[in-house]
Amino acid sequence: MSRRALWSAAALPALLLAWNGVAKIQFEEIAGPAGVQMTHTTRHFKGKSADVLRMFTSGGAAVAVGDFNNDGLDDLFVTDSDEGKLSKLYRNEGNWKFTEVGEAAGVAGGNDPLSIVADGLWFDYDNDGWQDLLVVRFGTPILYHNERNGKFKNVTAGSGFTTFGNSIAAVAFDYDRDGDLDVMLGHYFKAENLLDLKTPHVLPNDLDNAVNGGGVALWRNEGNGRFTDVTKEAGLAHHTGWTLDIGHGDFDNDGWQDFYLANDYGTDRIFFNNKNGTFRDATEKSLGFDTKKGMNVDVADYDNDGFLDIYVTNITDEYMKECNMLWHNNGDGTFTDLSKETGTCPTLWGWAAKFGDFDNDGWQDIFVVNGLRSAGKDNYIPVLVTMITTPGIDFTDVNNWPNIGNMTWSGYQRKKMFRNLGNQAFKEISAEAGVDNDLDGRGIGMGDFDNDGLLDFYQTNADQKSLLYRGRTQGAGNWVQMKLIGAKSNRDAIGARVTLTAGGLTQIREVNGGNGYAGQSSLRLHFGVGRAAKLDAVEIQWPSGLTEKVNLTVNKIHYVQEGKGVVPAWGPKK
Amino acid sequence: MRQATLLVCAWALAGAGAWGATLADLDRYEALLAKNADDIRAGSEYRQAVIQLKQYDRCIKFFEELVAKSPQAANAYLNFGFAYVDKIPDAGAITQVILANTALSHFSKSIELKPSWIALYTRGNSYLYWPKIFGKAPLGVKDLEEAMKMQKQDKLRPYHVRAYISLGDGYWKMDDVEKARAVWQEGAKLFPNEPRLKERLSRSGDELAKYIDETLDPNKRVDTNLHELWEDQ
Repeated sequence: MSRRALWSAAALPALLLAWNGVAKIQFEEIAGPAGVQMTHTTRHFKGKSADVLRMFTSGGAAVAVGDFNNDGLDDLFVTDSDEGKLSKLYRNEGNWKFTEVGEAAGVAGGNDPLSIVADGLWFDYDNDGWQDLLVVRFGTPILYHNERNGKFKNVTAGSGFTTFGNSIAAVAFDYDRDGDLDVMLGHYFKAENLLDLKTPHVLPNDLDNAVNGGGVALWRNEGNGRFTDVTKEAGLAHHTGWTLDIGHGDFDNDGWQDFYLANDYGTDRIFFNNKNGTFRDATEKSLGFDTKKGMNVDVADYDNDGFLDIYVTNITDEYMKECNMLWHNNGDGTFTDLSKETGTCPTLWGWAAKFGDFDNDGWQDIFVVNGLRSAGKDNYIPVLVTMITTPGIDFTDVNNWPNIGNMTWSGYQRKKMFRNLGNQAFKEISAEAGVDNDLDGRGIGMGDFDNDGLLDFYQTNADQKSLLYRGRTQGAGNWVQMKLIGAKSNRDAIGARVTLTAGGLTQIREVNGGNGYAGQSSLRLHFGVGRAAKLDAVEIQWPSGLTEKVNLTVNKIHYVQEGKGVVPAWGPKK
Repeated sequence: MRQATLLVCAWALAGAGAWGATLADLDRYEALLAKNADDIRAGSEYRQAVIQLKQYDRCIKFFEELVAKSPQAANAYLNFGFAYVDKIPDAGAITQVILANTALSHFSKSIELKPSWIALYTRGNSYLYWPKIFGKAPLGVKDLEEAMKMQKQDKLRPYHVRAYISLGDGYWKMDDVEKARAVWQEGAKLFPNEPRLKERLSRSGDELAKYIDETLDPNKRVDTNLHELWEDQ
């Protein structure tokens, strides 16, 4: 047998796997060797409500993926939350080695005695081509400007971000299409400083229909380094839910960004863009009212029908059977929850969830983290239910809630990964994929950290070490990645939509500015195209309104600039 | 005379749950119950109309006032508890727990006033809807064993099959599968065509667990129509 024939015989099974879309999705956990393993600590409170407040603020373990030094490799910003603890900025050196540079870069702080770091968001607010960083807090946010030399400058004072909020989520998108990125903050508690309590009445007034949360705030980018709070004029001030996450996207294909709010203790909300600086609440018509505990929003076209769908995690456990929601976009302004039908319903106490094509077959899979608190053998639920069922109890009063001590509450839960089978059905594969850890997950940041065409992701955990999963799928399909660079549009191209046709399948992706609870993924778009060796068509709809067609090749990362097509890539450091 | 016949027909349909209720019907039932708070049939039919109209809070308020006026009416407390059960499928997950717990307290009061088969069966069965973690299954089994004793001293009635089903479910929830199967089998001998017993006896292991979990899903509406009680008379 000739050498060529031998090579062909050896390669055949892998190729067939890819062709048939049956590659076995696999990941390897490498946070330790890569130098990015960090143990998060939730805030310790003082006083008699300390235990309960700590339990209620057990988020804050977040990750934001972004290429802050423009070297073509995505880096990681990972938050910590306890007083005096420092967040980390892990610079990607290539070859799965990261260097922690948070303090040197000047972005590690924020956990002062009256503020708790809860999330991070990369976005280029001044369109200079360098990623700036917003550190989101229970407090006032901190805006850092990227000085292009590995260092950041705190520019909060002049930014207008001076309003206190218990912010847990942040997304950046250009809601008014003026070419710069605006910011929406999701607030969990109402605007009371939990670290300096003036009233004990800070907890939800109802555990299924709460209306005393923090709502959202929309900050319009004025284009001069300043942001203005336009929440009221945008029609969003009436929302007072317990916002845990925000997911934006063009849900009605009109070229304008809409958004979905996952609210804890009650009804999620969907808002459509009126194209005049305001939004309309279409919840009743589009979704109906739910009473679930919304935790996460991610947005993708999971069934490749040309409309963005929405995945929301809720709580499904022995004592609470809520089910997640996979909102299938019907294309007429309404959505139908198909989580039960598709097999994506039960993920226990859900937190972040992200779509991603892990085997490059052209169908987006889902990874979900879960687990609230893994501690001692005693279970908090019976204790909690005794309080909940006490006649006339005031849930808002923090003093009425029992201490959790060392009890476990929905802990030790195995993570869930759903492989998209492409026929409105998903299969749970977390164990065989090697991602079924039982840590108390919170955020997921997805990217291709080694630029090999396979998606990787970072998982943050509350009060536990974080994890980095490297994509190791053998026989995955072909792929293409795009880093879009706006010109008239915002430089990050957030809101740009790519429609790609290859191998008989048409897929869409939108660049998003931070969708998903406690986790921002790469700005680079990733498409799996299965066995297709060439792309039949790639069309970009920029936020400016420009539509552009480009010719791209498979298995390559492309940089595409608005109006200029493909431009030279930034090379990774040697 | 013709009008009276139509009314009886309409009410018979109401008993079977196949009737288009109106708010005027709620007024009529409330008037009936005001005259006789212990009228279990009127209370049951009132609640079926309430379910159709989703007037749960009106119903709860009505029974709250009714038992305050008639504190010895065991069946009023029974229907009061059911009024909370009827609201459960339309409530959020945590409100469901609060409603279920309140229902239990009213069922207990009914038993305290008059330990009838229906009250014991109802409370016993209600305990089984609570997840294992709350440890309520033994309480349910105790009530259901009591109901079983009562029915064995009575002539066999069609609704007695319910105790065989639920008591078996209770044993199953306490991880005593053998005892569960024995009770279901005993029931199957007396009620050979009963599909709910056949379903349980034809399953085992995870399949049986899934079936019972689905049966005892609080998100599904429980049939609280008590018409079997008087259809047997």
